[in-house]
Amino acid sequence: MPSLLELEKAYERFKKNESMQAELKKLQRDFIGRPTSLYFAERMSKATGQKIYLKREDLAHTGAHKINNAIGQGLLAKFMGKSRIIAETGAGQHGVATAAACAKLGLECVVYMGEVDMERQQPNVIRMRLLGAKVVPVTSGSRTLKDAINEAIRDWITNIETTHYMIGSVLGPHPYPTIVRDFQAVIGREARSQILSSEGRLPDYLVACVGGGSNSVGLFHQFINDSKVKMIGVEAGGYGIRSGKHAARFAGGREGILHGTKSFVLQNADGQITETHSISAGLDYPSIGPEHVFLRELGRIKYVSATDEEALSAFRYLSETEGIIPALESAHAVAYALKLAKKLPNKKLIIINLSGRGDKDLPEMEKGLKI
Amino acid sequence: MNRIETAFTHIKKEGKLAMMPFLVAGFPNFSQSLKILKVLSQHSDLLEIGFPYSDPLADGPVIQKADQVALKAGSTTSKVFELIKNLRLTTEIPITVLVYANLVYQRGIEKFYRDARNAGIDGVLIPDVPFEEISIFLKAAKKYNIDNIYLIATTTTPRRLNKITKVAQGYLYLTSVVGITGTQKDIPRKTLQYIKQIKRQTRLPIAVGFGISNLSQVKKLKINGADGVIIGSSLIKLIQKSNTNNPQTLINFLKNLNY
Repeated sequence: MPSLLELEKAYERFKKNESMQAELKKLQRDFIGRPTSLYFAERMSKATGQKIYLKREDLAHTGAHKINNAIGQGLLAKFMGKSRIIAETGAGQHGVATAAACAKLGLECVVYMGEVDMERQQPNVIRMRLLGAKVVPVTSGSRTLKDAINEAIRDWITNIETTHYMIGSVLGPHPYPTIVRDFQAVIGREARSQILSSEGRLPDYLVACVGGGSNSVGLFHQFINDSKVKMIGVEAGGYGIRSGKHAARFAGGREGILHGTKSFVLQNADGQITETHSISAGLDYPSIGPEHVFLRELGRIKYVSATDEEALSAFRYLSETEGIIPALESAHAVAYALKLAKKLPNKKLIIINLSGRGDKDLPEMEKGLKI
Repeated sequence: MNRIETAFTHIKKEGKLAMMPFLVAGFPNFSQSLKILKVLSQHSDLLEIGFPYSDPLADGPVIQKADQVALKAGSTTSKVFELIKNLRLTTEIPITVLVYANLVYQRGIEKFYRDARNAGIDGVLIPDVPFEEISIFLKAAKKYNIDNIYLIATTTTPRRLNKITKVAQGYLYLTSVVGITGTQKDIPRKTLQYIKQIKRQTRLPIAVGFGISNLSQVKKLKINGADGVIIGSSLIKLIQKSNTNNPQTLINFLKNLNY
């Protein structure tokens, strides 16, 4: 807890520190490659009768939005005088982003990753190691993201004086959800000005996948006060909600406490955390960022889910229609957007957050799609 | 005086260090767990019993594994209360429980403490609730006359410790290392110095846990002013290894740590 208070104070100073902010901007531009484009998906739009744009976070350095937060927190850690960074990772995108940021900023990096996830996201394990990070396999529990977070927290409380825990999503105890959201909000700031300049108006819909919820909050945050912009978060439906094998917290969970956060949690009657299932490692987590619960209660964001099968077919669809191979996580957003597009009257303006690229998923795809 | 106070007063008079074994309820299964606890209650000064949890953040691999075994064997929150109720019929030893926040929250905070009272539990420690968030739990604890046990570490600042000692009851649970449970060989010098520092701030007994496994650690703690030692992982390891119904090995182990 004292470390959380220290972090909160340091972050307040960091936000006001002009040279830090200037350095962050510079790194966003030169290292990450921001702004990422807002791409008009022409063939997809034609096929559905809507106007669909993709916010191309897959084009950000290391291949996903995760780098926005990793660079931000990396700078913050240096600002705090910490020399060692630990992180958890599910799909490996946050791990890769953290490893890259640490390499760039000269920080020691240890990444905890569930054994199951290491298997299904092999390419990212290799990338992290190439970037100089130590990847520690986590063999406890369901051997996925939840357990990687457990191990990272255990490491953090053991090495608290030297180490900054770089949480990868809008999760964990305060001030983490706020810090991560702030670093990801650049997505929505860019998207808002990009859509205004290309279409001269705000979008009708924003669609993003929700694991912990950082890419969605990143896109949505700047539009929260634009009441006409509808926002949809897509959770992992796994084998379907009725199967019980999914990671749709709002469909199958209830309020609970996990990893220092009170939020919606998938759990049994006693409060034991249940094992989740999703084809995408990045969405395979039994809880969700607390801000999502708040925004859902306000009625500001609607939450739905897409199954493994729907995500797989969207994965293929986007690859073949637009020449963009999405991350399996982002494919959930594409899947729901396609469903939505069919129901809506024509010419609605839709932005999908393409949170990451699918290279990491290719070995698994090879099994599933029989390429 | 409640059971915890009585026990520590008694121990102090004898000039001893309180022996406080920690076991996971329902490990390796319900009936063996009850049997072991009954035996241990005759050879220790206080029992700490853990509610098994799917995600025990403060625990190392040994207790994690024990939690999983207990859950697989069908342990539930209700069964843990039942177990302790059964145990209470045979002993007046103080019993504290270690339980993660979500289990308390899901049962209903008030109901959890009421059930704890009915089961004969004297103290509750929730390792994943910081001091800043404790008030709703504390309210229920007070209502049912249950001591709220706090975890502290050498990283706890004097200012924070001061706030904690104002509301803490029973004893202070000092972690011997900054980190998680699991066997260690030694006690960091920082921890020993810290005990003296706490003694200046409070009269509450100090029980040291996390990584205690040998007599030389116990001696050092005693000399530096600790009032009790909590033995968890090393005891559980013994149970895993011995794989037998004969609790004599456990008794011998504790006896060897008596100082």
